[in-house]
Amino acid sequence: MPSARPSRLPAVTILLVTTVAPLMVGALYLIFQYAPEERVMGAVQRIFYFHVPSAMVAFASTFVLLLGSVGFLWTGRRGFDYLAIAATELAFVFCTLVIVTGPIWAKPAWGTWWTWEAKLTTTLVLWLLLAASMMVRGQADNREQGARFGAILGVVAALDVPVIYKAVDWWRGQHPVVFRPGAGSSALDPRMRTAFLVAMGTFFVLYTVLLLLRYRVAAVEDRVRDLDERLA
Amino acid sequence: MREGAPPGFLRATGAVLLKDLTLEWRTLDALSAMGLFSLVVMVVFSFAFDRSLQQQIGSARLVPGVLWVTIAFASIVGLTRSFHLEHHRDSITALALAPVDRAAIFAGKAGANLAQVLVLEAVLLPLSAVLFDFDLVAVGAEMLLLVVLHTVALVEIGTLFAAIAARLGRGEALLATLLLPASTPVFLSAVLSTHHVLAGEGLAPARRWLLVTAGLDVLYFFVAMLTFEFVLDE
Amino acid sequence: MLEASALTRRFGARVALDRLDLTVAKGEAIAIFGPNGAGKSTLCRLLTSTLKPTSGSIRVAGQDPRRQELAVKRMFGVVSHHTFLYDGLSARENLLFFARLSGVRQPAARVEELLRTVGLPDRGDDAVRGFSRGMQQRVALARALLHEPEILLLDEPFTGLDPQATRWLTTTIAELHGGGTTILMVTHDPARGLSLTDRWILLSRGRLTASGDSAATSREMLEERLSAVGTVPGVAP
Repeated sequence: MPSARPSRLPAVTILLVTTVAPLMVGALYLIFQYAPEERVMGAVQRIFYFHVPSAMVAFASTFVLLLGSVGFLWTGRRGFDYLAIAATELAFVFCTLVIVTGPIWAKPAWGTWWTWEAKLTTTLVLWLLLAASMMVRGQADNREQGARFGAILGVVAALDVPVIYKAVDWWRGQHPVVFRPGAGSSALDPRMRTAFLVAMGTFFVLYTVLLLLRYRVAAVEDRVRDLDERLA
Repeated sequence: MREGAPPGFLRATGAVLLKDLTLEWRTLDALSAMGLFSLVVMVVFSFAFDRSLQQQIGSARLVPGVLWVTIAFASIVGLTRSFHLEHHRDSITALALAPVDRAAIFAGKAGANLAQVLVLEAVLLPLSAVLFDFDLVAVGAEMLLLVVLHTVALVEIGTLFAAIAARLGRGEALLATLLLPASTPVFLSAVLSTHHVLAGEGLAPARRWLLVTAGLDVLYFFVAMLTFEFVLDE
Repeated sequence: MLEASALTRRFGARVALDRLDLTVAKGEAIAIFGPNGAGKSTLCRLLTSTLKPTSGSIRVAGQDPRRQELAVKRMFGVVSHHTFLYDGLSARENLLFFARLSGVRQPAARVEELLRTVGLPDRGDDAVRGFSRGMQQRVALARALLHEPEILLLDEPFTGLDPQATRWLTTTIAELHGGGTTILMVTHDPARGLSLTDRWILLSRGRLTASGDSAATSREMLEERLSAVGTVPGVAP
């Protein structure tokens, strides 16, 4: 159980942490230097390299949240709860990025900061659900109750997201299709595609690193609590 | 000890349902609160959209939003009370102690909540027809179907969240924060379907939405039934 | 009947119950003493399986609450200082509801029987809201006994009762004990606790710090022990 010296990070984590920094630098170069400026939109279009991967990560994290939540309710093992906590927070952070970068692009592109179309609305609703989920965890009487309620809300949020998306999509539809940025260009420049794929890959590596680290922090926090009691 | 297995699921559900409805019938506590609140909300909407605006937009476009926002907030009032009465003398602990499948407790409470919200809507629909000047009788059957379909989904997820909010000692504010985002698809569908019906187009254009909502009725039911027992744990 | 072994329950940083060992034989009556926060309510909730232990085990009539939750719950009848009753319903309606919920075979007949047992045969149709505290506790006890539980768990049941109701409850508990029901009673009253039980245990800060034979323990001895751990005897803190 508790050991005298601090446990080491697993090798995979160390590998990822050391890779992600150069990856991010490389991606930034590709995004800002290598990829050509888009004809119609100009420099603003480059926000896509951040906006779209953030959205993908946010929804991927919601799926991880579903796995953690179901796992916790089913087995009661704390590892699943740590996963759910990490996935909730990261999904929230990346959702925030999507909601912030979206309007920055939207204003020059569509002339309006916000529009109630499928992807943006779904992300906003997801953001609200995640915020509520974190709030509920904080308001719980004790950790176990917080974990259970967080898991229940995680399940509802994750299952709801595809439904919300489809619903809003049928309701409105204005979001540009990913590989046809802006009006006027008919195909994605191969350099743009490269930059985009690298950006996507970088975001996912970054997400994985953050997930692993946050999981660890949650586990360590729990261990500290356990040790605290032994001494009390 | 008297031999006997835990009660059948339906029997337990029926017991909870009867208990809730009896209490409501005696006091009319939830219905009066929901009713008064909805009336106030409707009146506020009448002020917000003045007569000329109403005539300009037309009831087919105005009423769906107004109606469903009112139903949303009024049902939150009712759902909160439904669990408030369980905490009054700690009856919720007795329910948690009972040798019965907890999903049955959920089903009973959701059923009672459904009945209450449907009664509210039965009053609200004619009222809005009067306040916003549209012909309810002509579209009665279609409205009935779509209202019931959407209310079921709303009440199912609402009962689950109301139980969580009550367990945390919180009330309407937390329930609203949880319920409204989660039931976004239900509201989108409700508003759109109501619009089509009031515009004289019937339910046909809204077929897709109704199918999705029926699907949600089933999905929310299972999710709530499966997770409710965790809400009753300490 | 009841076996708790190294039973532990934590709430975050707080240890509510710390490696408790307890054995209760069938038909025994145990008094549970201890100051607030000692872990008495936690122990009750763990036994009735509304709370899961962090570690350790419980066996109720040989069954594990984690595996046989409904069967274990069936063995318990609980009376708390909250009545669990619905104010707006009559005594009869309250009891019928709980009877149906507990799977009692002939609810109506059983409810009438219990209303007579607790001395309220003609008050059955009155709303519980109008009952005195003593009468409410009678209905609460009737509620606990509906499904003929083997173990009666009483959590400070004498709170707020007038002398007449107290006498009635004391007599009833003694009768149930005589009838073979296993009894667990959390109480702050040393005299009553000793007179109604076979054994007593004292909890303090989640640990079982003392226990004894009720007949062999004098009230003074017990009061000394209680004040040593911080309870003022006779006064509910």
